[in-house]
Parts: sequence; structure tokens; C-alpha cells
Amino acid sequence: MSTTPYNWGQKFLSIKPVRWLRELAATYLRQDGRTKFMFISATLFPILLIFVFTMLLPALSNPLAEIPLEESQDNRKKPIEKKSAEPSPTPSPEFLAKMAELKTAEAYWQARLRLAKTRSINLSIDLVDSVVGLDINGVTVRRCKIHRFEMSSAIAHLKSQGRLHLWLANGFALQKELATLPKAPIRVKEAPKDTIEASESAGEELPIENRDVHFTWDFDRQLTVLVEQVQTPSVSGWLSKLWYGFRRTLGAAGQALLELGRLKLPQHRLWIELELTREDAKAIYRALPEKAGLALRL
Amino acid sequence: MTDNTEPSTPLSENPAPNNQPTDSVPGTLQKESTPVTPTAAEISRVKPIRQVLGTGLLLGLILATLTLLAAPVLRERVFALWPDRPAEEVSGMESAKLKREVSRLERLVVSLQKRYEWLTPRTPFLIVNTSENRIYIKTGNKILHEGVCSTGSYVLLKASENRQWVFFTPRGMFRILGKEEWPVWRKPDWAFVEEGLPIPAPYARERFEAGVLGEYALEIGDGYLIHGTLYKRLLGMPVTHGCVRLDDEGLRIVYHSLQLGSKVFIY
Repeated sequence: MSTTPYNWGQKFLSIKPVRWLRELAATYLRQDGRTKFMFISATLFPILLIFVFTMLLPALSNPLAEIPLEESQDNRKKPIEKKSAEPSPTPSPEFLAKMAELKTAEAYWQARLRLAKTRSINLSIDLVDSVVGLDINGVTVRRCKIHRFEMSSAIAHLKSQGRLHLWLANGFALQKELATLPKAPIRVKEAPKDTIEASESAGEELPIENRDVHFTWDFDRQLTVLVEQVQTPSVSGWLSKLWYGFRRTLGAAGQALLELGRLKLPQHRLWIELELTREDAKAIYRALPEKAGLALRL
Repeated sequence: MTDNTEPSTPLSENPAPNNQPTDSVPGTLQKESTPVTPTAAEISRVKPIRQVLGTGLLLGLILATLTLLAAPVLRERVFALWPDRPAEEVSGMESAKLKREVSRLERLVVSLQKRYEWLTPRTPFLIVNTSENRIYIKTGNKILHEGVCSTGSYVLLKASENRQWVFFTPRGMFRILGKEEWPVWRKPDWAFVEEGLPIPAPYARERFEAGVLGEYALEIGDGYLIHGTLYKRLLGMPVTHGCVRLDDEGLRIVYHSLQLGSKVFIY
């Protein structure tokens, strides 16, 4: 029997509590005007509250309003160009795009140079060349091909404004991560009591790690990098991916509620989704330490 | 004309106990003392109102939760509708100035890229990939040798008296601190614990074992070594106690390519 989304919907609606709620709602909607009004008002109130404060207002505000946008060191030294008193011809869009691209490239290389001074393992993502690099003290120890990428429309919007370099300047710092695989594949082994037990455990087979790799990195300045493997996940991989997606969605909702509790509007996270091979994704995820930096070029 | 200072019901009719002050309105005192019993008609009217509001709120909360979960996706849709406009600072610039700025930026980007590329050592250095258990000897961007290795097993060995060890290869940049031919292994405590043997004194004879580390050993600090192995069939697998094990050929090339102070990058 085929299971289409329509069938799932039907199944969901036939669950006992859902059916009970549906029938009750239908009863109230059939009653006189006052009851109907009260029911609709009570239903709409929490929806409107959440819609306005977590969706509408954050979407209408600038996504980078609360992010400190920094000028790179080189640009800081240079005096700001003043507008000419005479009307100047508007530069062509191609020229403006080239200028924006160069500024972004400058921010990227400045960020990489700055990160090279740290002793940590850092990451560089170059979406222009579709390459992810793992850098240690300025040496790229692994270069991975990006098979596909997608990014938030808010980033594309910033790019069109030529303000992207301000956001990218000085790189990003890793704050939080969530993944379908453990950071370190630790196996616990009890020490043998004697040499006989030791010789018995010596012949044990090594477990082969063949997990599917999906993970999320949350950086500062509201950047989120999502990494997915190119390979189709296995059945257990699907389940772990589903659980990981659920945790991610729940985490974002919890964060939004937390910010509302602090009387602040939830900030929209600007995301980039990358598709890498499973081996590349695993190597990069395992290698990146907790306090890693990221240089980004878009 | 009535005197407003005079209460309509005298306080003496229902005095406050122990002459304590009361906030109650004098006129309502009599009413509060007798409990109000709602009529059956009133109950039948209030109950459905509570039920209607309760059901509405419950349904509203469920739908609000769904809205909350979908909010990031919905916000994305709104951002996609935003109109594009060029940055003011650029749109106000003269074409000639803009051209100068573009050529300045082009030169700057090239120089920054070159500065970054110069950070890669021009002398041989070693890269160890612990995820796939492979090594690379490079000079600049050129690969001199590529081979197989074995790195930390990530086994957490638990012994008595709350002693435990985690066998992992550290990541980051290291330097060759020492080089040795025909090294002798000084077995640490965990080597005895792992074999189920009693731990001998720190410099006891049974701690020293020759021939197990191969022909050469290179020290990278904190007791970690790059050395050879007797267990060649395990190369390519994460089986070591933290050291980097190489095959005979790889070890020979590494030993002769790297000098004291050469860089080792482990990731």
C-alpha cells in the first residue's frame, strides 16, 4: 500500500485526540454568533501572538540590524569617499558587482590571514570556487569540493546591496554544533583482570564506522552552516537524520521563545547549506575544534 | 441632601474581628458573609463559555506551536520578496573614482592571497589525516609522498582505582622535536594494564622493549611519536594508543625528509 502525504494527513486527522478536537471545533463553529466569536478569538490569539513576534516583526526588520558590521582593517585606514557635488553618472550594475566581489574577496583573505595567527584548526568556505578548506596555521591540510550549495535569501539580499563584506570581515567564531555522529568515536573498554582475559579480548574485531553525516555549525553573527552528505542515507541514516532535523527545529524554536522571554525579537539566522562527500564531511566535522574560526567567501 | 461621610450600613452590624482594619467596602460586608449559590441556569451558561475558551486556546496553542516551528522557513519567504538596492556609498561615487577603487582592490586581493600562500612551508612537512589514516609529505603545494598510517583508536581504557586512559592522536600543528634510530620503547603503565599484568616500577627492566617501534622514531611532543610497527596488517585502521604508526617505506621517507623543527599537521 502506498503511503502518500495525503494518506499521512488522513491518518493524522483520524488520531483520537485530533478527531475529538476537530469535532469539538466543528460543534462550536456551528453554534450562535457569540460562541463562534469567542472560539475563533481564543484560537487566533496565541497564533497571532507567535506569528507577529517570531515571524512578521523579525522578517520586516533588517536581519543584520543587531549584528556588529565591521570594516576590515585595510578599509578602516582609508578615508571615506565623499559624494561629489556634481551629478555623477551611475556606475553599471556589472561594475558594482565586480566591486562587491572584490570587497568580499578582500574580507575573505583578511579573515584567513587573521585566523592563521591562531593555533587552532580553522575552516574556510569559498563558494566562488566551491571549495571547503581545513586550515592549520595558514596551511590548507584538506581541500574538499562542494557538490551543491544553497543559501539564505537574506544573504543574497545583502550581496545585492554590496554590504556583504562588512558582515564577512574578520571571520566568524564557532559557537555551537549539532550532528548525527559523535565528535569523537570513543569506545569504552574495561581493563582485563589477567593475561588470559587480555588474550581473549585481543582478538576482538574492530567496529567499522559507517554512519551517515549531517551536521549544523552555529557561528557568531547569526551565521549557520548546514552540511549534508552527497550519498543517499541508509534506512538507519534516514532515522538519525530525522531525529537530527527534529532537534534542530526544536532548538531554533526554543531559542526564539527564550529571546521572546528576554523581551527581544528573535533574530533570523543566515544559513548556508553545503553538500560534501561523506568522507569529507566526517573528516572536517571531527577535525574542527570547539573554538574554531571560519573565513567565508560568497 | 445626604451626608456622604456617613456609611449607608453601620459598621457595628458586622465588626471586624479584634478591631483590625478592613479594606472591604462597608456596603458589601453583608453580601460577602453569605455564599452566593449560582443557579443551575447560570452554571449551564458559564460551563460552555469556559469550554469554548479552553478548546479555542488549546487549538490555538497547537497551531501557534506549528507556526513557531515553521517561522524560520516563513521568514525566508519574506526575505526573498525584499527589493534589491545598491549600497548608497557606492552608488554615489563617481565612475573614475570607482575605477580607481576597483584597481586598488584587485591589487590588494592579489597581495593578500600571496601573503597567505607564503604561510605554507617551502621545506618538507608532514600532514596526518586521522580520519582516513593517511599521510602526505609535501613541500609547498607539491606532494612528495603519500601513504598509509595508523592513528589513535579512541578507546577509553578503564582500570581499577579510577585510573583511565583515552587513546587518541592529538590534532593541530606540531614540530619534530627529536629523531632516533632503532628506538627502544619504554612501556607506560597502560601497556601493562591492557595486558592484564602488574605495573612494574618506573625504571624496571620489563618496561623497556627493543624492536617494536621499527627502524626510526620521530618525537612530536607530549610523549607522542611517529614510528614503525610490527602489525603491518592493521595499517590504515585507528588502532594505536595515540602515536602515528607508519609502514617501513613511509617511515624511511618521513625520517629522511623531515628535519628537527619541521612541521607536522595532524587533523
